[in-house]
Amino acid sequence: MKEIGFVEEAGLRLRAEPARDEIFKVVRRDKEMAEYDGSGPEAQRESVHRHMTNEITSLDIAAQCILEFPDAPWGLRMELARQCWDEARHIAALHRRLEEMGGYKGEFPISACEWQVTCALDDLAGRLASQNRTFEAGAMDVVGGNIREWRAIGDDATAAVLDAILADEIHHVRFANRWIKQLAAENPRVLLKVAMAVRFVSHANRTLQAEPGETTVNGKVFEDPHSRIPIVNVEDRKLAEFNDEEINEILRQAGFRSLVPEAVHA
Amino acid sequence: MSLTVNDRVRAIATFRFIEVRLMEITAAWTPTTPEMEVKVLFGRHIFDFAQHADWLGKRTFELRKPEQYSLRPVDSYVEVIDALAAEEETGKRLSALYDVFLPALENRYREYIAQTDTLLDEPSVVIIERILTDLARMRRDAGQLRTRISVAAVALPELAGRESAHSAIVAA
Repeated sequence: MKEIGFVEEAGLRLRAEPARDEIFKVVRRDKEMAEYDGSGPEAQRESVHRHMTNEITSLDIAAQCILEFPDAPWGLRMELARQCWDEARHIAALHRRLEEMGGYKGEFPISACEWQVTCALDDLAGRLASQNRTFEAGAMDVVGGNIREWRAIGDDATAAVLDAILADEIHHVRFANRWIKQLAAENPRVLLKVAMAVRFVSHANRTLQAEPGETTVNGKVFEDPHSRIPIVNVEDRKLAEFNDEEINEILRQAGFRSLVPEAVHA
Repeated sequence: MSLTVNDRVRAIATFRFIEVRLMEITAAWTPTTPEMEVKVLFGRHIFDFAQHADWLGKRTFELRKPEQYSLRPVDSYVEVIDALAAEEETGKRLSALYDVFLPALENRYREYIAQTDTLLDEPSVVIIERILTDLARMRRDAGQLRTRISVAAVALPELAGRESAHSAIVAA
């Protein structure tokens, strides 16, 4: 059976990229991606294209967890299988929307960074902490803001797609929170693995993110990473069963940019 | 003579083993298959196989075995499953699963229904009929996708022959 090995990037031992259509240009650094200011047609297509390809990565990660952890509790494997179904539908829905907007797969560079970081971890609780509790929870913050932005420019179709996706993502984060708690209750060493995973993800993010002043392939200049932190989606993080202490910590890290957890859903 | 309770649970647990392996095989193929549309197909079907395994695993508990109990089939049949898992090229993966393995599995499920007492074992029959409906839909999904993205079916006579060589798959 084909196996996916490891690569070294900037001193990090990462998982090699999963297979992608030849039409995609796969890159490893933010500065190799395309990014556009404003809300013009190209910016809109790049946003949907990026989201679509992130969902491919999420599908690959959930599937790989099913493969590599055959002794995980059956209930957790069922959740991961369900996640695969959800991510597959998200890809299809975003691809459909992209084509409606006149875009096509492979139109912009893509990254599989979340896979490379998450699947470098050797235990399932760590991967849930990385992918579901960190990357997907972070995506909940981003998407919550995106839905408002799409509505603001009158694109209710894209907003509706993202709102449906966000509802699914809440559960992906929630089941990770629940299972990490359960696994840790059964074996306290799990908490050590989770802490190591969080530290690795944080280090990888700092190492791979663009520096202020660097530019994307299309010439956009990166700002300070702190100014790129999205508004925290407090309401959905609560639904995903982050506790108040955890949410307060996230707000502190985000510089309290969200003190208005208003509903964004239709 | 119809199947005994012990015969039934051994067959159901064997089917569960197969459905779990199919979930794992499609999961393994997802990151290693380049085509986005094929990943989407596998991603959807991973959960179908998982649900089948879950239904069958609930039934094993009703037949005096633990919940989610699996029974490994005869070794030579496990080798057939391993051969399926080893396919690396997208067209071969699609043909091996949807043209060879699933139709054969459907026949094995139908054979079970033909052999069991459909009144006394109705809970198993209902589960298997639902699975058969799913498997037919999954093969249709694959057929439509292959037409849409122009992936030709591949003849795999050796795999088909190895599969059909097994009149029984439940281990002694």
